[in-house]
Amino acid sequence: MIGADRTGDGMKRAWAVVWAVVWAVALAGAGLWPGRALAHASEGGFVLLLPTGLYTAGGGTTVLVTVLLLFWLPARWARGMFRPWRAGAGGSAPGATAPPPGYFRPDDRGADDRGADDRGAWVSWAVLCGLGWAVWAGVRGPQDPVENPLSLLVWTGIWIFLVALSGLLGDPWRLSPFRGPVALLGRRALLRYPERLGEGPGLVAFLAFAAVLLVDVAPADPDRLAGMVLAYGAWVLAGGVLFGPVWITRGAGIGMLLGLYARLSPVWRGGLGLPGWGVLAMGVPGWSGALFCLAALGVGSFDGLNETFRWLGWIGINPLEFSGRSAVVGPNALGLAASCLLLPMVFGAAILVGDRLAGARAPGLAFRTLAPAVLPIAFGYHLAHYATAALVQGQYALHVLSDLFGGPEVVVTTGYLQTRDSVRVIWLAQAAAVVGGHVLALLLSHALALRLHGDHRRAVLSQLPLALFMVLYTLFGLWLLASPRGS
Amino acid sequence: MTETSKKTPAGTVRGPSRRQALKTLAVGGTAAATLPLWARYAGAQTGEPIRIGFAKHATGIGASYGRWYDRVSQAAVKKINAEGGVNGRPLELVTEDDGTDPKRCAELMEKFANQSKCDLAFGTLFSHVVIGAAPRAAELKLPYFVVSEGHHVASGMLNRWTLQPGITDVKSQVKAMAPFVHDTLGKKVTMIFPDYAFGYDHRDNFTAAIKALGGDVVAQIAIPPTETSFTKYFPKIPRETEVIYHVMIGPGVLTFVKEMGEFFGPSRPEIFGFIDSLEAVNLSSPGLEFLEGTYFWEGMPRYLQPDAPGYVKAYRDAVGLDANGASVTDANDVSTAAHMFGCWETLHVIKAGMEACNYSGIADRQALIEAVEQMSDMPAGPDHPQGAKRFNGKTHQVFGPQYISKVEGGKLSVVHTASIEDTLYPDEVDYTKMSF
Repeated sequence: MIGADRTGDGMKRAWAVVWAVVWAVALAGAGLWPGRALAHASEGGFVLLLPTGLYTAGGGTTVLVTVLLLFWLPARWARGMFRPWRAGAGGSAPGATAPPPGYFRPDDRGADDRGADDRGAWVSWAVLCGLGWAVWAGVRGPQDPVENPLSLLVWTGIWIFLVALSGLLGDPWRLSPFRGPVALLGRRALLRYPERLGEGPGLVAFLAFAAVLLVDVAPADPDRLAGMVLAYGAWVLAGGVLFGPVWITRGAGIGMLLGLYARLSPVWRGGLGLPGWGVLAMGVPGWSGALFCLAALGVGSFDGLNETFRWLGWIGINPLEFSGRSAVVGPNALGLAASCLLLPMVFGAAILVGDRLAGARAPGLAFRTLAPAVLPIAFGYHLAHYATAALVQGQYALHVLSDLFGGPEVVVTTGYLQTRDSVRVIWLAQAAAVVGGHVLALLLSHALALRLHGDHRRAVLSQLPLALFMVLYTLFGLWLLASPRGS
Repeated sequence: MTETSKKTPAGTVRGPSRRQALKTLAVGGTAAATLPLWARYAGAQTGEPIRIGFAKHATGIGASYGRWYDRVSQAAVKKINAEGGVNGRPLELVTEDDGTDPKRCAELMEKFANQSKCDLAFGTLFSHVVIGAAPRAAELKLPYFVVSEGHHVASGMLNRWTLQPGITDVKSQVKAMAPFVHDTLGKKVTMIFPDYAFGYDHRDNFTAAIKALGGDVVAQIAIPPTETSFTKYFPKIPRETEVIYHVMIGPGVLTFVKEMGEFFGPSRPEIFGFIDSLEAVNLSSPGLEFLEGTYFWEGMPRYLQPDAPGYVKAYRDAVGLDANGASVTDANDVSTAAHMFGCWETLHVIKAGMEACNYSGIADRQALIEAVEQMSDMPAGPDHPQGAKRFNGKTHQVFGPQYISKVEGGKLSVVHTASIEDTLYPDEVDYTKMSF
């Protein structure tokens, strides 16, 4: 824990400041986007006019070339790619044999928090107060979701911005509203957490969240949402009372997702390295942890697919008169479930074939080792999918913040979705996030395979089916962006 | 919040704005603030706001319309309150998101009637949402003022509690286009429309109207809603075609225009369309050059016309529109100008109806319906900036002028105004004979 001493309080304070600045800049940036637009018909129209076929071919080629370069890259370089430029506080260096405790979140650090590190707990309590106020505002405030602080906090602040910023800047775990209360309430846990459950409860919580996102009739309706937030809070706090702070890293699904994406940040646990080095710095997840990674991708993929004309055509809905979410509850539930089941199966098949090609005969270990490599794909797609929503919803969030604090009137605009040039810039930025995510995923999976097999030739052989999977997934991701959408 | 119950010396009353509501949340420690807004007015005998449950398309397929409908509605409420409100009481919009979803909107009717104690419901554009919510409004005996332009109100499909007094219906709009198309553009028409109910309304109503004038629809080309390339359909346009009538909507519209331009080149027939295709789309966008010299129906002119009366300018200023029909804060943010005026006019009809029946509370809901049913001619002016209206109490549908504009220099210039008489058709229902 030398690294912990080195990072110390100064580092924590520095991060708090960095987070505050980034939030402010991101929110301001959303409002001051050049040219200064909502999911808008004309945006989809301009996208259809762009040469997206060519762009998609270019993106696919980029990923394919990455595959070839990796196969050709000397193993020494490949191993060195994810070595941190500066070591941090948690985790172990690449190549370490013993994984640090807890695949999700720094619960090695969390252990400190339970006792000596209560100094930072006030942040958690303050955030909890803020969340409590937002829930109250959800029930008592304006019921228009673009005016209500709770709807904006959950779907814009957390789901769009906080997820994105976690992957870019590191784990915001200090901002968790539950860490302080759980540390207090769970000081004497009633039960010992059954470790055989692994991250299963967190996975269940995340899938429940995904069902609200994709299946629920009115997820942004403030007073309904208040109930859902309370239910989630009760889940986390009850688990915390029963099992103690370990529950935060086993059952708090949303915080766990943030922690997963945080490993893609160049900054992770106080260290610095190539984005994704945090994945390499950790050990091999258990089955539930591995499935969590794949669920992140499955949910993201269906989030994109369910809006396309193609999907709506499959389920017999006219996209030009989409009759609302109540009409697609059944199909969306089935689609989400299928997506989260099919993806691990296809991924598993690619792993199995690769394992045979490499002659390793340990497909289970390979599955668990390589599953985190899909995180950059899921994260890249999150950035791309929510880019336009961030630009619009970010303005609504600013509008409400400004109203609350007596600032100037913020007039929401969607003008930048109504000119071809700005739509092209946005689309290319989205495509870059998708392609970038896949390139990073390939680098990660190659480095993980090298660690798994220890031998360059076998690593390359084991990667062939997975590389093909990723190239095809790139094309799928870009097709999603280019497709006409109707819901 | 006592200001809401006072009338200022200038004769204005102030309703609780959203900004105030949010500020109230910010100082949530006080006892008053812990009560919902309606509860805080419950003790006041006079000056308590009249609560209008606004079902807004905040999310879903109608969200781009919802944002502008909200903006217009807020502006109308502000104007009405500045002029003294309704019988001295301010109007207050109680906005909820209907998700552009019929089921959700039906739930909102319940919420408006029972939970948030609204005096009436006010709802916007998409027809399926209105059709889904109207039966619930009737069960709850909640007046439901819709701004959807669908023919479902006047067709007799709905009920006594549902009215459309602020925007004309598609049937009258389409019918009114036929004389201009026939007399000015050509007598042999090819129609291109999306292959579902919206397109069929245009197909059936226009075909009947043009035939009645002696013209002919020489081809009806229905295009599947999921289509994104249209080149294979253009060869189906007969050579004898003098006018193309198009009502394509959705993300494929820009591609449709571009491919039609490429198909015809410089020699094309006359082209007439409904601005629904390009509502909120900047006409000077690259790719839309082909539309130069073509014609569009507009519910209300998007571009400020040289001869626009003062009250039109006042309406546009109140909403925050520039001369091109975009937001004054962002020239690229083009409004849904052809339809959104309906919110403004509907709210003014509600005001007039309440004043006519001396509305005092929810016990007068039925009286409000009866008062509006009694309305007939409404003059053009600040309350009706789109033009003079004639309300038909039997069919619960309003009739008004329609505009035909030509694309000139990337802007729309009005070249013909269809009169109210051009839009009329025989009654299909008499709601006044239905019980409440």
